[in-house]
Amino acid sequence: MNSQFKKGVLEICVLALLDKEDRYGYELVQKISSHIEISEGSVYPLLRRLTKEGYFTTYLRESTEGPSRKYYQLTQTGREYLYELIEEWDQFTHQVNQIIKEGVGHE
Amino acid sequence: MNKNEFLLELERSLAKLPDDERADVLRDFEEHFTFGIEEGKSEEEISRSLGTPQQIAKELLASYHIEQVETKVTAKNLLRAIWAVISLGFFNLVIVLGPFIGLVSLLFSGWVVSVSFVVSPLLVLFKGALYPETFAWFELFFSMVLAGLGIFLVQAMYYVTKKGQLGLVKYLKYNVRIVKGGLKHE
Repeated sequence: MNSQFKKGVLEICVLALLDKEDRYGYELVQKISSHIEISEGSVYPLLRRLTKEGYFTTYLRESTEGPSRKYYQLTQTGREYLYELIEEWDQFTHQVNQIIKEGVGHE
Repeated sequence: MNKNEFLLELERSLAKLPDDERADVLRDFEEHFTFGIEEGKSEEEISRSLGTPQQIAKELLASYHIEQVETKVTAKNLLRAIWAVISLGFFNLVIVLGPFIGLVSLLFSGWVVSVSFVVSPLLVLFKGALYPETFAWFELFFSMVLAGLGIFLVQAMYYVTKKGQLGLVKYLKYNVRIVKGGLKHE
């Protein structure tokens, strides 16, 4: 898929994955890259940016084995932003689908 | 590239970040490697799917410089932010530099016009002193009207410049959000 397009969508993916539960960086990256082909490293700059913009808070949680994990938690602002994005996304895809149906539709 | 090479390269590319931020970024990637290795991936495999450290650093620096210019608008901060966004990819050269040059030339010409209006009575007097035979009261009055207009224009330009800066920063942020960078395997 066009990479220009993907970058904008990555944001919505990250936010959506955090809606129901807190997750750590590696987990988020794996979740997304199992669906969309991305350079995995670009998720981390995105996470930092969204954290700084106040959409996430982070906390460290020790785990029994391995290093402590940095968890991301959606804030109220983040959740509102996510729902805004989802609405825009729904409208947009609906309109594009409409056009595709009209243009490519079989009689 | 193995884990150490990757982290070293990333550290080197992030030299411009404050120490604590850089350490934080490196910790994130170290964590990423650790979990990947636990899952049985090789260091090379992990760094390959991460993408290049340089591209990751570019993304981080672009956000950082925009943040800087948001806390304090100076010409230096602004130029750094613009440069950081441009270096995200070739495409940005066009869509960032174009509007930037347009905005700057618009502001520049606005300022030149307003300032020359303000100083025009001085110019008339200066000319009158040099060539007294060409001096005309009409010119002096006219230039004073211009000067009055110029004072308003200067205030307006001040406002427009502030707004322009804010708009530019917003536009840069938008670019970092949407525009290509770091997503394609290259």
